[in-house]
Amino acid sequence: MASTSHVTIRKRLAVVLIIVILIMGALSCRLGYLQLYQSHWLSENAIDQRIRNIPVEARRGNIYDRKGQKLAVSISIESVYAIPAEIRDVETTAANLAAILDLDKNKLLDKLKKRQAFTWIARKVTTEQAEGVRKVDLAGIGLTEEGERYYPQDNVAAHVLGFTGLDSQGLDGVELTFDQYLRGNKGSIVIEYDAKGREIPYAVHRYLAPEVGNDVYLTLDIVIQQIVERELDKVMQETKAKGASIIAMDPYTGEILALANRPDYNPNHFAEYEPKNWRNAAISNAFEPGSTFKILTTTAALGEKIVSLNERFFDSGAIEVQGRTIHCWKHGGHGSETFKEVVENSCNTGFVTVGLRLGAENFYKYLHAFGLGETTGIDLPGEAKGIMIKESKVTPINLATMAMGQSIAVTPIQLIDAVCAVINGGEHIKPQIVREIKNKDGAMVKSFAKEGLGQVISNEVSVEVKEVLESVVANGTGKNAAIEGYRIGGKTGTAQKVGAGGYMPGKYIASFIGFAPADKPQIVFLVAIDEPEGIYYGGQIAAPVFKNVMQDVLPYIKN
Amino acid sequence: MASRPGSPDYIIFYSVLALLGLGIVMVYSASAVSANVNFNDSYYFLKRQIIWAVLGLLAMIFTMNIDYHLWRKLAKPIILITIVLLILVLIPGMGKVVNGARRWLGSGSLYIQPSEVAKLSMVLFTAYYLANYQNKIQSFVKGVVPLLGMLAVIFGLILKEPDLGTALSIAGTVFVLLFIAGARVWHLGSLTAVGVVGIILAILAEPYRLKRLIAFNDPWADPLDTGYHIIQSLYAIGSGGIFGVGLGRSREKFLYLPEPHTDFIFSILGEELGLIGTTTILVLFFLFAWRGFKISMSASDVYGSVLASGITTMILVQALMNIAVVTASMPVTGIPLPFLSFGGSALIFTMAGVGILLNISKNVNS
Ligand SMILES: [Zn+2]
Repeated sequence: MASTSHVTIRKRLAVVLIIVILIMGALSCRLGYLQLYQSHWLSENAIDQRIRNIPVEARRGNIYDRKGQKLAVSISIESVYAIPAEIRDVETTAANLAAILDLDKNKLLDKLKKRQAFTWIARKVTTEQAEGVRKVDLAGIGLTEEGERYYPQDNVAAHVLGFTGLDSQGLDGVELTFDQYLRGNKGSIVIEYDAKGREIPYAVHRYLAPEVGNDVYLTLDIVIQQIVERELDKVMQETKAKGASIIAMDPYTGEILALANRPDYNPNHFAEYEPKNWRNAAISNAFEPGSTFKILTTTAALGEKIVSLNERFFDSGAIEVQGRTIHCWKHGGHGSETFKEVVENSCNTGFVTVGLRLGAENFYKYLHAFGLGETTGIDLPGEAKGIMIKESKVTPINLATMAMGQSIAVTPIQLIDAVCAVINGGEHIKPQIVREIKNKDGAMVKSFAKEGLGQVISNEVSVEVKEVLESVVANGTGKNAAIEGYRIGGKTGTAQKVGAGGYMPGKYIASFIGFAPADKPQIVFLVAIDEPEGIYYGGQIAAPVFKNVMQDVLPYIKN
Repeated sequence: MASRPGSPDYIIFYSVLALLGLGIVMVYSASAVSANVNFNDSYYFLKRQIIWAVLGLLAMIFTMNIDYHLWRKLAKPIILITIVLLILVLIPGMGKVVNGARRWLGSGSLYIQPSEVAKLSMVLFTAYYLANYQNKIQSFVKGVVPLLGMLAVIFGLILKEPDLGTALSIAGTVFVLLFIAGARVWHLGSLTAVGVVGIILAILAEPYRLKRLIAFNDPWADPLDTGYHIIQSLYAIGSGGIFGVGLGRSREKFLYLPEPHTDFIFSILGEELGLIGTTTILVLFFLFAWRGFKISMSASDVYGSVLASGITTMILVQALMNIAVVTASMPVTGIPLPFLSFGGSALIFTMAGVGILLNISKNVNS
């Protein structure tokens, strides 16, 4: 035996064995890496390729008024889906579905041949179509329930409620701002499939139940809302106006009790209306308020004690400011009058005098305290800020016109919110549209308490202003708002609309803000009528609307 | 030369039995679904694997009891028969085409793969050659080149089928044996360089090989086509974690991993039995390697020594290549896992090789 070669062989075998050990060591590391470090990621991916999710829509929560009347509900409608991998005969399936659902067969074929786990065939089909699909019982085709929004009161409170899209997502109004509470959580049916699309035995097969959305209870009172809607329809017919808005608010809580605009729309068929009908003018449209704004000027002047109710003024019919003449609305002027009479008469020259005496700094202090120049923060989409001249740039002529409600633009919600502060004892409150959110079992999810934003004036000043506004209705320009047997306070307004080239001839906004009872107001209304034809004075067309509404509302809220 | 009777190496014997047993279980578990889909019989592959395992054990017992020096005398006729079979399988009409490769010879239910025969016969031939011409091994022209000539013939014929995995495993084995037998290291180094160039040329000749190479580097670049097998294999192995998803509970075998009972059986094992299972397989192959090389070291003559190394290396090269492929550690090359993958003739010839190894172990210098 050649022992030298045997020695070589042994040495080299040892080398080979070491190499084998090294390779095996490397493979062990690789396996450890895959089965320990990467195990989670790889198994997640492996599961992903086998799992199909069939979405199950969560029923959207309902919307109620403050007393529990249904304003928006969800009803179940069936939709047809396909799991292409499970379909056996694509041609027959497409032909069958095309016939039942009235779809284009070729487009359907393309859809069914695509490599995807799940696809919709038809959303929200009729009961007959759903029944037809169920009868032919095609492999890979299924039905699932989807929620369809239904607004039982049709147009009532449309601008508050808003509407939802095809996937039940909120698109406008409370449906949009409270979407995260209303929409709930989607559920799904999870099925594990083999590579050819058949279910795997002993596999993952879960039903994840959808979570029903929460119910939203609005601050609206459907009775008051319906009265408001009725009067809006009436005034629109009578005045042939371009639009109109009414807001009702509880001055002590900031709760919106009614809010409606014209033009409006039916949220059940929102797509059939022009988008301008969706616009919530009461919070989105800023306008020069005119005389209703004098409530705020009066409050600021009395608050700063630069004037007393009995102080005498003389109106010659015109006043000159910075070389420009401002006329009183009454030809020849009101002559000698007390400040209380200035308010009752809505005398322009009187307010100009008071505004100039107040000065920019004091006036703006009150405007800011009332929340003007910024949104009120109401939980509705599309709120406007209004337009206010910067305090640093304001001139005496600006100040003079602002005192009578010109050279400043506010939204109806800003104006009524400011008036609430004036008449509730002086506290500025954020307007609320939702009272509470409850889950499907009725348990409280969130409740909205009164949100005070600070004291603007003393209670004494508030009482004084209320008295003056009561005599405006009793003795002054607001006579048409008076209701026998009730103490009503209020103020009229007539403002010429501002366009690109200044004031637009013949285009006015007639308005009225009023409340009752005058000493301890339970409810305050703002009525604004945009571009009425014919008579355009707030006292003549807006005040009667207020009166009609209030006449029906007061007996109701007394109970 | 008289054989001194002794007992065979029991560690090898039991390691192989363990691998064989695990193989039968895994073939059943991995194939049950696809067997049910394709043959309407979940036990289709299990039944056959049991038959092949029994035949393999008989082949092992047979060769274990034949004095291994017989193979030295039969080496030349056996390699000639192998070459004839390798030519026959390439003739259209004779060789059966499966999955684009003409690898199978036979009829009815009896098929063999000549390339499987070639693995064992090339080891027998190389051992015969190196033992007979060991004095010329240091010479490149007179010692190394003639063996390479034979390798080139076998390699070329197998590549023609095509079966690159088997061809490479045979070439690798011959190369290792040349090294063990004492060929000069710089000769082998030069050969390695030539081999690398050859592989590059082979890749350039067949574009699908380049695709596979790219798939190995980044299987997720093309998850639905070339990278598909390797991704599914990694999903399977990774899903196993430490303890596996449980025997019979593989998900990847549900037609995601094609033919999970053959080349990718290790992936299913990794999924069902986890790191515990895969480590066990590696340990069993390590025991096999260690005892195989130990037999080689203590064989009573140079022929026995080279033959023992050859059989051990042949099986080991395939095992390591297979595990490397399914863990995406090297480019995809179709190669079965010895003892575990389903496959009739491969198992019989592998077991026959183990029998020869055990026979050598009975005749060691104590
Ligand atoms: Zn006047």
